Amino acid sequence: MSTNLAVSPVADIATLPDPAAQKAAVANLGIADQSLTPRHGCKGPGAAAWLESFGLPIPPQPNSWLPVDGGGLIARLGFTEFLVEGPATLIARLASTPRSAGVYPVLRQDVALLLGGARLDELLRQTCNVNFRPLDLAARPVVLTSMVGVGVTVIPELRNGQPAVRIWGDGSYGHYLWETLLDIAVELGGGAVAPHSFN
Amino acid sequence: MKIMTCPLNGPRPVSEFFYWGELRPMPNPATASDDAWADYVFNRNGAPGLKKEWWCHTPSNTWFIAERDTEKDVVLKTYFYEGDQ
Amino acid sequence: MMRLPATRGEWIDRSRPVEFKFEGQTYKGYAGDTISSALWGAGVRVLGRSFKYHRPRGVLSLANHDVNALHQWADKPNVRADVTPLVAGMDLTAVNTFGSLADDKGRFLGKLSAVLPVGFYYKAFHSKRLFPMWERMFRAMTGLGKVDLKSPHKHTPKAYDFCDVLVIGAGPSGLSAALAAAAQGADVTVVDENAQAGGSAGYQLGNDNGRRQQHAELLAKVAAEPRIRVLTGTYAAGYYKDHWIPLVSAERMLKMRAGSVVVASGAFEQPAVFHNNDLPGIMLASAAQRLAYRYGVKPMDKAVLLTANVDGYRAALDLLALGTAIAAVVDLRANPGKAEPLAHLLRQSGVEVLSGHCIVEGVPGSTGLCAGARVAALRADGTPAAQTRDIPCDGILMSTGWAPAANLLYQATTRMRFDRAVEQFVPDVLPDGVFACGRVNGVFELERKLADGTRAGSHAAAAAGFGSASGVALPPESESPSHPWPIIDHPAGKNFVDFDEDLQFKDFCNAVQEGFDNIELLKRFSTNGMGPSQGKHSNMNGLRILARLTGKEPQQVGTTTARPFFHPVPMSILAGRGFHPERRTPLHSRHDALGAKWMPAGVWQRPEYYQLAGKSRLDCIRGEALAVRNGVGLIDVGTLGKLEVIGPQAAEFLERVYTSNYANLKVGMTRYAVMCDESGVIIDDGVVARLADDHFYFTTTTSGAATIYRELSRLNTMWRLDCGIVNHTGAFAAVNLAGPKSREVLRSLTGLDLSAAAFPYLAVREGEVAGIPARLMRVGFVGEWGYEIHVPASHGGALWDALMKAGASQGIRPFGVEAQRLLRLEKGHIIISQDTDGLTTPLEVGMEWALKMNKPFFVGQRSLVAVSHKPRKQQLVGISFPANHEGPVPLECNLVIEGGDIAGRVTSIAWSPTLKHHIGLAFVRPDLAKPGHTVSIRLTGGSMVQAQVSATPFYDPDNLKQKEAA
Repeated sequence: MSTNLAVSPVADIATLPDPAAQKAAVANLGIADQSLTPRHGCKGPGAAAWLESFGLPIPPQPNSWLPVDGGGLIARLGFTEFLVEGPATLIARLASTPRSAGVYPVLRQDVALLLGGARLDELLRQTCNVNFRPLDLAARPVVLTSMVGVGVTVIPELRNGQPAVRIWGDGSYGHYLWETLLDIAVELGGGAVAPHSFN
Repeated sequence: MKIMTCPLNGPRPVSEFFYWGELRPMPNPATASDDAWADYVFNRNGAPGLKKEWWCHTPSNTWFIAERDTEKDVVLKTYFYEGDQ
Repeated sequence: MMRLPATRGEWIDRSRPVEFKFEGQTYKGYAGDTISSALWGAGVRVLGRSFKYHRPRGVLSLANHDVNALHQWADKPNVRADVTPLVAGMDLTAVNTFGSLADDKGRFLGKLSAVLPVGFYYKAFHSKRLFPMWERMFRAMTGLGKVDLKSPHKHTPKAYDFCDVLVIGAGPSGLSAALAAAAQGADVTVVDENAQAGGSAGYQLGNDNGRRQQHAELLAKVAAEPRIRVLTGTYAAGYYKDHWIPLVSAERMLKMRAGSVVVASGAFEQPAVFHNNDLPGIMLASAAQRLAYRYGVKPMDKAVLLTANVDGYRAALDLLALGTAIAAVVDLRANPGKAEPLAHLLRQSGVEVLSGHCIVEGVPGSTGLCAGARVAALRADGTPAAQTRDIPCDGILMSTGWAPAANLLYQATTRMRFDRAVEQFVPDVLPDGVFACGRVNGVFELERKLADGTRAGSHAAAAAGFGSASGVALPPESESPSHPWPIIDHPAGKNFVDFDEDLQFKDFCNAVQEGFDNIELLKRFSTNGMGPSQGKHSNMNGLRILARLTGKEPQQVGTTTARPFFHPVPMSILAGRGFHPERRTPLHSRHDALGAKWMPAGVWQRPEYYQLAGKSRLDCIRGEALAVRNGVGLIDVGTLGKLEVIGPQAAEFLERVYTSNYANLKVGMTRYAVMCDESGVIIDDGVVARLADDHFYFTTTTSGAATIYRELSRLNTMWRLDCGIVNHTGAFAAVNLAGPKSREVLRSLTGLDLSAAAFPYLAVREGEVAGIPARLMRVGFVGEWGYEIHVPASHGGALWDALMKAGASQGIRPFGVEAQRLLRLEKGHIIISQDTDGLTTPLEVGMEWALKMNKPFFVGQRSLVAVSHKPRKQQLVGISFPANHEGPVPLECNLVIEGGDIAGRVTSIAWSPTLKHHIGLAFVRPDLAKPGHTVSIRLTGGSMVQAQVSATPFYDPDNLKQKEAA
């Protein structure tokens, strides 16, 4: 696939303000588009074993994740579905390897967002009826829930000591998710930022 | 808003769920009379009491069974269909 | 000025004066005042007019029940003056007046009270003839504040919130509950509608320094506890299942989910009922205490205090200490009981204590304000003696009893019982995780409230999973805080039970006499408790009256249902930020650039058509259709559901969920697919493509995508076939490149062999288009040679651009949903849920060919067997109108009429630019279904029009367009 043609579902609206504004925003609440991160999905009774054959670690618990060598993560969504983000070469290998028995490839064309900052909790409480505060980040939880009325996968984490969440949703909801979350982020003194702003 | 407990995702507001209806065994289509079949297809038991129902946690597309006492308005337990996971 | 010297703990900030206007006059108050406290402090005694008789009213409760003091503040109607914080520059007017508050033309209504009996509305509206007159009159005369339809939309972002223990009420019992729960490790949120915490501990002092000290210490302990969050100026508006409580403040609603709930909401002090008990200056004793301690406002210069409990004696001592003369304490009881030591202190200060007495009347002065109390001894039967005595005063304080603020307990399905020991309802059986303490639990004395709170807090923490429950329920109070009959009848009436609705004692008697002797009927007939305060000061007395009139116990009479909300919630707070999820295909911006007119399709937005400059909507649609017929068009079909089923039993799965055969479908081919529900009704259709032996890719309707995927998942949860279902709806972009020139356009972009032999009609191929991996299907929905092309969503834009560029020389034209509907109608293809409804089986739409009844099983099969044995009720047919047809044509849903009866309806209709006449689809009775038959259709206006039943397809009936030679 000519990956240079790939476009984020929010490409035409996820425009970035100048670096100073981004820096100011990220302290309160930054929102960044990560949709073009290479990713692969698969599910089925054979998925865990198949992924393991690529040397990937398998999160032992449903709805948890593990880091992947070379950067990235493998998230276990429920019992037998997996979402892998990682080095482009790894993702390309996964995508080009013929499926084997009990492995059903899932084409991931997500809108993938990263939100973080001191006022994240306020945004989450305005948009999602799951209480993220008591979650133990050390257990690397994955939360499948509904946010502003859209089904999403959420991984809560800390970035530079600030609370952050990674959010994956169906790409066709990308505009809606981005515009709604950005609207709230701006109200909370945040705004659109580049993903590296969190580093 | 009520809480429903998904056996996979845990307790969540009921807005995250889709309610299908009572779990009702399908009569054998080959042997059921028209009347018995029509009863299965069209009639539902609306009387309050203990119900075994299909529910789906929609963000994760997880189907499960909830046992509810619709008279007392309590969910007694939730579990996967025949050990499904 | 009625301001007192500053006291410790008062809520006003005397260093910050606040100027405001009321009824055109400028006044000064202080930051921290409410509107009422500022006005009362400025000497204003008439704060509003009553609803029905337009009587002047002042302060009654100063606790959010003073609904005769509703003010209009700019675009805000019905601002509750007794609790709304004073804001600099406020310009307020009283609502419900004709002219002005001082010169209200509605005053005469008080004189007419004799001809405005209870149930007056019902009686007035009983006559059909007079209904319009009464309606006009009532609409003009009733209603409170004015709604400003131009007021701007206010953003009030609702938010979810979570806590272990929610305590409702920050009075002494609530705060001690919070401390106990926090001590066991729970995170506690305390919510209170008042501007500051402390509740009655801050003003029911009896001039006792020990109580002052206790209050300060309690607040300090709470402030020092990091696990306790106190939300003041916020009320719990209702109780919903599983401890879900909306917390409403001036700015927003918090939707609080608690692990457990402590209801420490206290009690509403209740008015005594006597003639003229509504004169400005007559108020609840607790209202006077609040005025004095919170706002430093002297309630009156000289008061007569009517009481029946120890609280009244404390109030007398408080006010006396703050400079209000107490002309007399009138106790309905034979002696002061537990209040004797306080009575002694009062007597020492020269206050006359009249036990066994009542107030028969409030005596109005020349200005209509309270000028005295007419007092009489009570006889053995509870009625006043004939001999009365007038005691001059400018205010009367009422302290004869309380009603529990149990609204949320009722909503939580608490079973309540009437406890004679305290003359009120108390919780009998509480639901799991809900606890009650303090006055709402029948516990009144301060030390006991603190202990009761500690018990409830501990139990609530334990219920939420923190520590173990300790403490047991307290024995009942030794003396009732409420009098069982604080009501004095009077021949002149005007002894108000409900101040919202101006209901007098005799209204209840009349209502019962007319047969409305059940609490629910009485409420609706009399409107008792139906005003803005929702019975918070009237339900208890109403219940007592009904019990006495019917000879029942209060327990037998019961209460009316307490529904949310506890106080009226502004619409802007309820609305909050609305979330309206919307899906877009990756081609959205392309359509925008091409002038798409959008239409909603479920949660999606789709181009209805593309606007060309200077062309009408219909011309655009017809132009797009002709472009497909004669050249090539491109439509975004990315909203179709796109599913895959993979695995050894994938074919078996499809055999079960669709009506046709798929086991025999060759790899590389597609087949139309119809899905039924168990009753045999068509619920969806699409195309199934076999990509490999064990791999199928299939589409569903746009609206069906999510539900079909969910239901298929459920079915395989039961069936456990060895296959998996994947929902790729949003992951694939899809377009249909259609028209006689489509192949030429595609050829320049792909290496696939597009010859009819290599890629025949209904075949599916995988290959690259413009360098993008794609799935291509030769489909014929619009009736031309064409390709449905599916690519990963991230490449949808690139595909569209490549096709538009490659097609430019062929005059490619994007087409929208309307042109597609027209094209498919020409081909006689149905649209599920437009040409079918919730009762349509495949048998009625000519799809017998898609039913493989000899299969072992498919969903709906058994029902279709039964249906096939029965006479058919309707048949979908084509209808056409002659090319020279003039005048209107039917609309979709217009009825087919035969012999005066309904014999069908039109489901689709359009003018065909290819055929140059109107064509349509309609359900008709089977006996009318033969082509050539003429049917009559009734237009919307009632006139009839004839149409001819026609064979379908209307266009290219032999499908020659899909053949190479064409």
